[in-house]
Amino acid sequence: MREMKRAGDPRRLGEAPLEAILDYSPAIIHLKDLQGRYLLINRRFEELFKVQRRQTLGKTAHDLFPLGTANALRNHDQQVLASQAPLEFEEVLPLDGQPHTYISVKFPLLDARGVPYATCGISTDITERKQAEQALKAAVDQLKASHEQLQAVQLQLIQAAKLESLGKLAATVAHEVKNPLQSILMGLDYLERNLPAANPQLPLVLTDMRNAVERANLIVRELMQLSAPTDFQMKDEDLNALVQRCLWLMNCEVIASQTTLVQNLAPDLPPVKLDWRKMEQVLINLFINALQAMSQGGVLTVTTRLARLENLLPLTGATFPQFSAQDPLVTLEVQDTGTGIAEADLPRIFDPFFTTKPPGVGTGLGLSVVKNIVDLHGGAIHIRNAPPQGALVTLILKARKDKHYDPKQNQ
Amino acid sequence: MTPSKTNEPRLASSVPASPSAQPEANPAKTDRKRILVVDDQVNITRLLKLNLEQTNLYLVRTENDARAALAAAKEFQPHLILLDVMMPGMDGGRLAAQFQASPELKSVPIIFLTATVTHDEVLQRGGLVGGLPFLAKPVNLAEVLRCLRQHLR
Repeated sequence: MREMKRAGDPRRLGEAPLEAILDYSPAIIHLKDLQGRYLLINRRFEELFKVQRRQTLGKTAHDLFPLGTANALRNHDQQVLASQAPLEFEEVLPLDGQPHTYISVKFPLLDARGVPYATCGISTDITERKQAEQALKAAVDQLKASHEQLQAVQLQLIQAAKLESLGKLAATVAHEVKNPLQSILMGLDYLERNLPAANPQLPLVLTDMRNAVERANLIVRELMQLSAPTDFQMKDEDLNALVQRCLWLMNCEVIASQTTLVQNLAPDLPPVKLDWRKMEQVLINLFINALQAMSQGGVLTVTTRLARLENLLPLTGATFPQFSAQDPLVTLEVQDTGTGIAEADLPRIFDPFFTTKPPGVGTGLGLSVVKNIVDLHGGAIHIRNAPPQGALVTLILKARKDKHYDPKQNQ
Repeated sequence: MTPSKTNEPRLASSVPASPSAQPEANPAKTDRKRILVVDDQVNITRLLKLNLEQTNLYLVRTENDARAALAAAKEFQPHLILLDVMMPGMDGGRLAAQFQASPELKSVPIIFLTATVTHDEVLQRGGLVGGLPFLAKPVNLAEVLRCLRQHLR
């Protein structure tokens, strides 16, 4: 106890403890004048950078370290002198040829007038901690990516389960609704041939009823299409040829709606594996929607192009987990100059029975069927409003990976 | 036959709902083609009968109980059978197999009239599904007549 008391008396210690602190510290400690010349380095500095204290004093960082490192160190010192306050930096210093990361606390030494005359730095090696942090960050990033992928798969599974249950429901509904429709239709056929001549309104009533049967049947058919996309015949097809075929089929509607058609079809698109008939249904549905959105006429622009996943994000603002960066993709854009879609309606646009069309015009199943078919092709569909006016539908499909395919060159 | 006089009485008397109570004309005494309509939906068979018989080309017997259809067919000796698929008791596929296994019915053409297929499917396959003629409900009379003419040649 007496020894400890003696050792603990500051008056008996002198300068020795300060030197001991400097020499036994595991941190690098140094003192530099305003020109960056070393005034003091501790033993750890000597050991790590393999220099002698006597030869080092009076030299600058530029004499000891590579230019880039020395410039960074000098810059930090100047910041400390300018701020006249302690600052913390992360510095990379070479050690046995390997970069080591240090956390350096630097502060100015001030004379009696408060004027800085030197900078002091205490640097601790945090390389291992840094590596552990980077490994942890990589693991977290990977985990995040896996989680996002898992969420996407989960959403797809939920959607598939929904479709499956909707499919079963659709099959039941179809059967139960079609039988009464059959009765009504047969009844109408009979009544039409056996009408009393007295009432001229009766044929009109029967026509209205027949139209109602046809509409109900259309809804049932589309509901069934949502659920029974089983017999896909996937073949390598030319998307441009499919577009042109569908536009040819739609020619009368395009003319009748006083719409100007603009085609921007990329030449030499690689083949796309698709079911021609199902995808024909998709395209015609999209074209009809576009024409119906332009009741006063307008411009229908149809564009095909090669794309990469990284191009789609700025184009659509959406992510597409079904594609990878290496996938060669083709896109089909259908743009109208109609009134567009209310932003609040966009998230529901693919929901069954959701429609923005006037009553009696749409069944609300068209885009649901379209999305279902596109999903089953492993593709994606995205709808947004496009300035200055109108809606832009982007259909994305995987193309066949040709030997010479280079998306960078083919954009 | 004037429609204004015959509408209600025909529905009430000549097309009874119960197959067992049907007073059919003697099939042998008419040159009209005999059509057996088998469907569990009474109103469908009744309206088909009304429409087909009004053409004066067909004599129609209806059967709403699939299990009784074989006996009805043997008795009626139809030229053609219009057959629903989804019926309680026995489905149309099994019933068709029974018709085809019967020596006196095996050459009788069968047309399936069903809600289990869509118009598009039938159209895409040239009117045949699995090699058998199909009509997709709901179908109008003109289409039924066209199909009957085709298969009664």
